Amino acid sequence: MLVVSDLVAAYGKIEALKGVSLRAETGRITCLLGPNGAGKTTLMMSIAGILKPRRGSIRLGDTELTGLSPARIVGQGIALVPENRLVFPQMSVLENLLAGAYQRGDKAEIAADVERMYDRFPRLRERREQLAGTLSGGEQQMLAVARALMSRPRVLLMDEPSLGLAPLVVAEIFRIVSELNRDGTTIFLVEQNAHMALQVAHHFYLMEQGRVTFSGSPGQLAEDEVIQRAYLGARRAGG
Amino acid sequence: MDFLDLIDALQSLADGVLFGATYALLGIGFTLIFGVMHKINLSFAAASIGAAYASLLILAGVKAPPALVFLAAAGCGGVIGGLVYLIGFRFIPLANPLATLMSTVGLLLLIDEIIVHTTAGVPLNYPALFSDVIIRAGPFNLRGDLMFVFLLGCLCMVLLLMLLYRTRLGLATRAMSQQPVAAELCGISNTKVNILTFVTTGIVGGIAGAMIGAAIGMLSPLLSLPLTVKGLIVTVIGGLGSIPGAIIAGLLVGGLENLFQYWRGVSERDLYIMLLLFVFLVFRPGGLFAPATARD
Repeated sequence: MLVVSDLVAAYGKIEALKGVSLRAETGRITCLLGPNGAGKTTLMMSIAGILKPRRGSIRLGDTELTGLSPARIVGQGIALVPENRLVFPQMSVLENLLAGAYQRGDKAEIAADVERMYDRFPRLRERREQLAGTLSGGEQQMLAVARALMSRPRVLLMDEPSLGLAPLVVAEIFRIVSELNRDGTTIFLVEQNAHMALQVAHHFYLMEQGRVTFSGSPGQLAEDEVIQRAYLGARRAGG
Repeated sequence: MDFLDLIDALQSLADGVLFGATYALLGIGFTLIFGVMHKINLSFAAASIGAAYASLLILAGVKAPPALVFLAAAGCGGVIGGLVYLIGFRFIPLANPLATLMSTVGLLLLIDEIIVHTTAGVPLNYPALFSDVIIRAGPFNLRGDLMFVFLLGCLCMVLLLMLLYRTRLGLATRAMSQQPVAAELCGISNTKVNILTFVTTGIVGGIAGAMIGAAIGMLSPLLSLPLTVKGLIVTVIGGLGSIPGAIIAGLLVGGLENLFQYWRGVSERDLYIMLLLFVFLVFRPGGLFAPATARD
């Protein structure tokens, strides 16, 4: 289980996270909703070790992750699919996958995993020699997910995987998210697309201005009037 | 221009292209560090000359074969490269674009001063390889020492490209240069890649320094500043961050420089190279091989 407690992160004097506590249960899909600027990406980057939080703790099982380098955190079994995908544009699809397996030494197993990724994402097999920068947005997102999976994470963090993608592609991404989860990967997902997230996630958090303002099951989320208005686009009562 | 003039001009051009391999290596050094860290290391050419000097000093007592001097220069270059990173980059705030520029200017001056103090500013003879060999091809003469410098330069480039495109370290280096945050998310250590890049380019620089010493037969502290300028010109003409660009621009600048020297004399030749740079800055500011910008 990934547990974040009382996390404070800041850019200079501006606090982006003002004491965030939440948890991603092992084997489940946890989804974090929130408007732009709420601090969702800051939280993800802090868990991955790219940003150094000011206070608080991030634990995976019994291991404290704050203070570890990003490389060590990958070694602990956490992988982040970053916002905007960030594929390596001048490298082939295959090389992107190999970069994802950078910390592993088992060549045969890596090759087998590459094949598994091609099976899961057939478009990547078609384009394996193509430069990643020339892929479409959806293909790049698939590649970013596959690249993260190449480190064989126990916990997969995903920062807005549906951002800027066509509805059909979004549906495909969410299908893969639940598939990965069925295969045993714990998933912690940041989303703005609450409708899609409702169909797959087991638990929801809502974050606003650096604080967690809601925590509950999909049922509770769907019933919450404020969230309905802001994220599910329901009409006002009587409207 | 009569026939003999043409022969001589072509001969100058050929000699220059062969010597241009050293410029190509210098350009690769500048461009590789820029590619990985998006920083200009102004001390690179001085460090390369410093490595060539160091190889002479190390082997001063023993009667070493010239080939060993080249190896020593490569080794010294690697060590100096690592030191340049530690002193000029490791503890300097990288977010400030001018900070490392200033620290590397400081290192350039420091290395120059160290050279001047240890050698009292007197030029040292550098051993040349195959200087007694001259290959005759029709009306042209190919100097053995220049041929050796050229072939060694090509070998270095091939090895470097293999390192970049065929090894795990190369994969990490390219990943870091294209998308640093994603590279870290893949578990690639930023600091490790940076150090290794500096050591690798340092080795290349050391070999380039030795090649320059061998081609002109001596080392002088007066070399480092003009070579810094040449290295930067090659980098800009080739396209910042492009290795093939640095190679071609290096050979081009070497060849044209010698040609201008033949036509206009040694005092004017750099003027025309500067004009060439100017033409590129105006009409093709991205260089010969501007790195392609990808869609995001």
